[in-house]
Amino acid sequence: MSTAECEQQGTGWGILEDLPGDPMIWVLIFSELVAFGLFLGAFSVARAIHPAMFAAGQAMLDLDLAGLNTVVLVTSGWAAARATKAARAGERQVARYWLLGAMALGGLFIAIKLAEYAEEIGRGVGLETSSFFTLYFLLTGFHLLHVGLGIVILAVVCRRAETSGVETGTAFWHMVDLVWIVMFPILYLVK
Amino acid sequence: MTMPDRIDIAWIVLIGLALATILLPQLMPRPLLGNALLLAFAALKGRRIVLDFLDLRVAPALWRGLVSAWILIVLLLAWLASAVVALI
Repeated sequence: MSTAECEQQGTGWGILEDLPGDPMIWVLIFSELVAFGLFLGAFSVARAIHPAMFAAGQAMLDLDLAGLNTVVLVTSGWAAARATKAARAGERQVARYWLLGAMALGGLFIAIKLAEYAEEIGRGVGLETSSFFTLYFLLTGFHLLHVGLGIVILAVVCRRAETSGVETGTAFWHMVDLVWIVMFPILYLVK
Repeated sequence: MTMPDRIDIAWIVLIGLALATILLPQLMPRPLLGNALLLAFAALKGRRIVLDFLDLRVAPALWRGLVSAWILIVLLLAWLASAVVALI
């Protein structure tokens, strides 16, 4: 098929065009899911090899703050989903309010996570304390960077609040939410 | 007052499952079954996010299947690794 024929049929992204938002964000989302999947797989295998070390490390984590952050991020995802619905209905101002809510909750997630890090570092643990803490800080730190990046993306799409832009920004945000939902029990709860 | 829609119901379900996830380890001392339940809750939460927040409910089955498979593979690997530890 020639380039001209491709352009006549769509934007040239093939089956990625069936997904909400810009197809490019889905390339990024699938890449990120593979990276987080490999990281979490490595964590699970390392736990099977060093069960006592991982149990001792897990016992030093703050489950209450992590649980609170789960509620915060899920609620932020809800606000982002409402923003998408409002944008699709042409209610741009309503979409902006929901996006601002999602961003504020994302900021709260970062603040809580940093408080959790401060508490853990205050107890004398760090990247080199054990394999558990090396993987814990790398995994949660990598995720935290994505929360920060997600807030920047939501801020960019919030300005115009067009349907395609909002769908693109919130798709990334829901990926960040999904990764935390899977990561939380694996890091904090599975014995 | 407007009735809650699919997005609101998904949020309520997610909050309920998040609270159940936090409380479960205190109620379920046996790790093998407790871990299976914890990870099953995570799979249910992930499914709600994929279908109702990401809105892949209306996307082709290929994409829904790929993201759902990611959730299942990561959680199943975590459960298998924990089961190996519990059984040895």
